[in-house]
Amino acid sequence: MFTEILGRVAVVIVFLLPISVVALVGRDRLSALRREWRDRLRVSWPIVTVLIAVLLLNRVMRWSARRITDRVGIHMTETFYGLEGEFILVFQSLEAPAVTTYFTLIYVYGYTFMLLFPVVAYFALSDTRPFRRLLAAYALNYAIGLVFYLVVIALGPRNVMPDVLGQTMLYDTSPEYQHLTREVNRATNVFPSLHTSLSATVAVFAYWTRDEYPRWAPVAVVLALSVWISTMYLGLHWAIDVLAGLVLAGVCVGLSQLLVGRWSVTDALERLDR
Amino acid sequence: MLTTAGLGVTIGTAGCVREVRNAVNRDGRDRLSLTITTLPADGDRESIQLARTVRDTLEAVGIDASLAILSHEEFLRAILTNHEFDAYVGRYPGGSDPAYLYETLHSQYADESGWQNPFGVTSLALDDVLERQRRADGQQRREAVEETVETFAAEQPFVPICAPDEYRLVRTDRFDGWGERHPGTAQGYLGLEMVGESSDEEGDGDGDGDRDRDGDEDKVARLRAAHTDPRPSQNLNPLSAEYRHRGLVTGLLYDSFAVDPDVIGPLEDGGNDGANTRQANDGNGGDDEADELTTGIDLHPWLAESWEWERNDDALVLSVRLRDDVRFHDGEPLTADDVEFTYRFLADTTLGADGIPAPSPRHRGAIAGLEAVEGSEDGHRVELRFDAGSGTAAAARALTVPILPKHVWRDRSTPADVTGVRIAEGTTDALVVDNVPAVGSGPFAFADRTDREHVTLERSDDHFSVRPGLDLPEPTVSEVQIAIDPRSTSAIELVAGDDADVTTTTLESYVIDDVLEIADGNDDLEVLESPPRTFYHLGFNARTAPFTNPRFRRTVARLIDKAWIVEDIFDGYATPVSSPVASEWVPDELAWDDDDPATPFLGTDGTGDIDIDAARSAFEAAGFDYDANGRLRTREGN
Repeated sequence: MFTEILGRVAVVIVFLLPISVVALVGRDRLSALRREWRDRLRVSWPIVTVLIAVLLLNRVMRWSARRITDRVGIHMTETFYGLEGEFILVFQSLEAPAVTTYFTLIYVYGYTFMLLFPVVAYFALSDTRPFRRLLAAYALNYAIGLVFYLVVIALGPRNVMPDVLGQTMLYDTSPEYQHLTREVNRATNVFPSLHTSLSATVAVFAYWTRDEYPRWAPVAVVLALSVWISTMYLGLHWAIDVLAGLVLAGVCVGLSQLLVGRWSVTDALERLDR
Repeated sequence: MLTTAGLGVTIGTAGCVREVRNAVNRDGRDRLSLTITTLPADGDRESIQLARTVRDTLEAVGIDASLAILSHEEFLRAILTNHEFDAYVGRYPGGSDPAYLYETLHSQYADESGWQNPFGVTSLALDDVLERQRRADGQQRREAVEETVETFAAEQPFVPICAPDEYRLVRTDRFDGWGERHPGTAQGYLGLEMVGESSDEEGDGDGDGDRDRDGDEDKVARLRAAHTDPRPSQNLNPLSAEYRHRGLVTGLLYDSFAVDPDVIGPLEDGGNDGANTRQANDGNGGDDEADELTTGIDLHPWLAESWEWERNDDALVLSVRLRDDVRFHDGEPLTADDVEFTYRFLADTTLGADGIPAPSPRHRGAIAGLEAVEGSEDGHRVELRFDAGSGTAAAARALTVPILPKHVWRDRSTPADVTGVRIAEGTTDALVVDNVPAVGSGPFAFADRTDREHVTLERSDDHFSVRPGLDLPEPTVSEVQIAIDPRSTSAIELVAGDDADVTTTTLESYVIDDVLEIADGNDDLEVLESPPRTFYHLGFNARTAPFTNPRFRRTVARLIDKAWIVEDIFDGYATPVSSPVASEWVPDELAWDDDDPATPFLGTDGTGDIDIDAARSAFEAAGFDYDANGRLRTREGN
């Protein structure tokens, strides 16, 4: 079941990605990419390595770090629920089968697409800085998010008020996605919303690169907004998680600007070689 | 110089503080605030809804109530082991026989961990009736149980709310024979018949034990289960109170001497009416005294070939004959030595090492009254000696504990060392070990598991139940793969999509309407409805004020509109209850009759609307008072 769903996601992304790359990136950049990819990778490999390491660490830690969580974790579910109560129910006023389908598709497919497209698009730019900064921002999102996941034990609204969320809860309307997201997330990993922070990160980058990709910027912004709302509409996150996700995105984007390009690992290695 | 001055100041203020505190405490009543601990909605949506309902109810009568939501094992650890809670809502694993009330409510267990008296209730009245219940048999026992139920109704050590109907979705196109035995028990998964290509094997069903030599049956014979509780994929320790619910999976791995005939189901010899039809009484015994001793015992031999009771001046003696040539899954023989060890070990997993006994938190009540165990020289017989006052009905529960291999568990009597988790002193390795791979003697052996994904068992081909001539349900499937799927909706989808054959955990009530509809439109699907084996309840921590006060507990109980809850939260798929035992044990005057006979609802029945004034008066009559803002105050304030 899990592989089936994962397969479906992969198929959609695999179709969507080339089409959008051709449409939004353009043939000129792609042919330049074919000539220059080695050089670009030579400049970018350190941050690629960092990102892969963070993703692997994230995967391992989320599941095996229960002891850390048991020791230092703080239960926050009640605090969040006490603070915002049933606020996210405002999104329930949109409720309709078509809306539920839209947000479900956004949450599962739109989000995945959103993260992958800019990686390809920025790699196709001759200036490698947006690419490196984006990957750095991703790595920071995952790394900082992981720390919060270890420390904050909080359950999403679906686990607290399933009855009032009614018809829009992701896993009730589309139980098949349970198998997909459960693989990736633990029920207590809701603060902050990484869906929100990563989509916001992508949207900010899309705004910055609006001269290079004028058509991507509005798409990214609409997708990001939809992702934020979907997390609440589907009962997966509290508004507080979404707010924290936005703050996290701001921090990560800022740090990526500060850090990337400041030290050059390749230069340092060359200096060592000498 | 400076230090002295500082000290003087400290002393000065200390005196002042004391004075202030004295003045404040003189009439110091604080607002009563409490936390209700419960489980997240994944896999048990009703608990959190119940907890929120109770919280709203308490808030409505001026109590400051909040929620704490913990994962399954954290929840049980907080309540059963650490006793860190004010009140909680959850399911009680219960028991079909009222004997379980002994360990549940007896004050001698108030400080222990596990399902024995997690509430910390200490009541001489309860102790008295529970003792009588344990010692009596027959009609006297029935009377003692009824008195226990009456005392319970008055004291409300916890509030039983409702017993949810058990529904499971099964596929009938691969296996047949569902529901003959309760699908909440291990025996529910034995004796299944294969349908389709392998149906020619049906004639073998009665125990030739040679089904598995026919060739390519393996892919056909895998039973695929969808289980919403992830815990069996993490831990297979039959002693763990935190990781076990009713022990379905460990029941497949371990054997006990006897099983409940209700779960063994219809047997060919037809009878479970009266002791004489039991195999246990074949052979030896059979005299009048033995008959008298076995009346009211409702157990069927499983790992035991037979047993006999004997009462003498200083003990009640149960001698059990083991089946010949039974082996654990690792090939070691199961002997009287293992049995002797098991009972000693369950009573004290330290094996007497450091003076603080650490009994198995799940079997305490089953072996209450057991004083000595002795295996015979030839290794085929074991004598269990109970204290002279024991009744056989209560003592017989000792036959239901899992028999453990001594060579595996002996070394687990050392103190536990778990980093990160707070555990009680005197906790042994045996109580916290995950016990993977589990080595039992049961119909299925452990094969594989992945945390939160699956646990897979394979048939134990030489299990005694497959022996010719034994009328016992046997493992017919070559493999049981229990896939973990934390929600009812996705578990249903697995079964409907032919990715699973059965939902082993009960379905949550909010999906039952849907599941009945799905099954209606599909010939290969069937919904099993089985009698409830658990009940939802509100538990109090009676170790702290104000829960120490039975009047307070009673008043809270009267704020819960059970009939309305059943309709509102359980969609009608539950039975409201006021007593913690099956209805056959409830005295007439406490039988549920449209309203709660024990703790009538303080409001309009069936609507959930509380009569606030009546509730306030009830709290005031119980010795509490309200401040000007309508907040309930308590002297001890916590």
